[in-house]
Amino acid sequence: MRTSFRRRFFGATLLVLALVVTACDGGSGGDATTTPSDGGTVEGPAITVGSFNFPESVILAEIYAQALEANGYTVVRNLNIGDRELIFPEIESGAIDFIPEYLGSAVSIGFGEEAPTDEAEALQTLTDLFAAKSVTVLDPAPGQDKNVFVVTGDFAEGNGVTTVSDLAGAGEVTLGGPPECEDRSTCYRGLVETYGLDNLGFESIAEGAARVAALESGEIQVALLFSTQPVITEKGFVVLGGTEEIIAPENVVPVVSNEVAEAYGDDFAALINSISRLITTEVLLDLNGRVEIDAENPEDAATAWLSEQGLVP
Amino acid sequence: MGFLSDLVSWFGEPGRWAGDDGILPRALEHLWLAALPMLIAVTVALPIAVWLGHRRIGGLAANAAANIGRAIPSFGLIILAAIFFARAGVSLRFWPAAVALLALAIPPIYTNAYTAIVTVPRETVEAAKGMGFTDNEVLWGVEVPIGAPLIFAGIRISFIQVLATVPLAAVLSSGGGLGQYVVRGFAQGPGGRVEVFAGALLIAVLTLGADWLLSRGERWVLPEGRRPRSSEEIRAAASIS
Repeated sequence: MRTSFRRRFFGATLLVLALVVTACDGGSGGDATTTPSDGGTVEGPAITVGSFNFPESVILAEIYAQALEANGYTVVRNLNIGDRELIFPEIESGAIDFIPEYLGSAVSIGFGEEAPTDEAEALQTLTDLFAAKSVTVLDPAPGQDKNVFVVTGDFAEGNGVTTVSDLAGAGEVTLGGPPECEDRSTCYRGLVETYGLDNLGFESIAEGAARVAALESGEIQVALLFSTQPVITEKGFVVLGGTEEIIAPENVVPVVSNEVAEAYGDDFAALINSISRLITTEVLLDLNGRVEIDAENPEDAATAWLSEQGLVP
Repeated sequence: MGFLSDLVSWFGEPGRWAGDDGILPRALEHLWLAALPMLIAVTVALPIAVWLGHRRIGGLAANAAANIGRAIPSFGLIILAAIFFARAGVSLRFWPAAVALLALAIPPIYTNAYTAIVTVPRETVEAAKGMGFTDNEVLWGVEVPIGAPLIFAGIRISFIQVLATVPLAAVLSSGGGLGQYVVRGFAQGPGGRVEVFAGALLIAVLTLGADWLLSRGERWVLPEGRRPRSSEEIRAAASIS
């Protein structure tokens, strides 16, 4: 099979690199595969870190991978793989050991179950679902990459709107979102039904950049974006609150194969959890901004953040 | 089998044909989106091409226009136009798509018309002049009638391409003609496959239907001696572009 060949190939590469590194007496470089630092290596299986194919996921995977390496774990990167249709089989087959997931989407898209809107409940649901696949769910980070409804600063001020329910008093307003939003209870239909927004219309704008442009031009007054899109801070958009009833929490939540979790025990989980604790939505916004606006590459953005936090030398 | 029966019941849903989001209003919207770019392309590109062909100048320009127009991806152009128009405060409903479709509509019309006129045999033109035809008479009495089949083929090809590209408008607004079904179905993932397929089917039917109608109309418009007698001839004329 291809995957097992890949693992063997990486294993061999790893061994050679490890030999070279020890022979050279501990040079440390940002090499693609290993960098045992001061504390020496931790005994155990190599950890294959995966990510989805969007920048934020790659940055997060890099953060965890580099932190693991700095603490002597052996890491293999398999980043930018694709969406959950590709990732979930890889997790099940053991080709990926570790991936930063998102709470609600992992439940709803990964497993096709309805995601609870309560964070603790969602975490319990996901833990149970992954347990059946021999995968452990670690502590969720406070940071969320979830759907948010935003308005321009001027609109928020002019109409006194800070939550979605406030939209009821804002006259005829139009929400711009991707096509699937119209009929979803977590999106347009949910807004109308749950908050009684009869004055809210819908315009389907699949392309994100066009949606932002339409919001700025005033063709739409409300836009569906992701909470970690740097354009929100860049343009001073206001994120409307009070959506807890319809939108599931999307905290970053690392998941790890039982094989790796058991091989390394509590130290491993403690290390990952100590990093997750620091990843807030603001941190995600900042990291995405470095990559999407300042054109830094994800690896460097991750390194910079880790050293700012004093997590790597 | 499940897919086929889902498809059939999709077409049978209440309001599917005449409702706000029904097939007939969507098909009209589709044709409407195609109409203006076609109209502009025909009224602007065609006279220029015929005149340049008559003067036998601008061969390089004809080539360049064709290649550039076809090389720009419509998807990129439509997004670019959307952002530009949004900045200018223009609605995303119609104009960004119209601009992208215009760029797509021009090349076949231009190239075919230019080629049609330029490839009229020199001897024929010289003979007409020898018989005392004025410059205008040569153009309207000789070159245009002889080149007509190729000119019409260009218009037809252009219209087909435009009709098949209109669905892109659906990524920008709720007014994307039959493309709305495809874009919306696609956004729903596996659950939307029936809608994607149904939309694609409808677009194909509309496009092929338009092609058939135009080829009928072509026979009627062309001068008697230049009418293709068989569908093979029509295809041969079309394949030149």
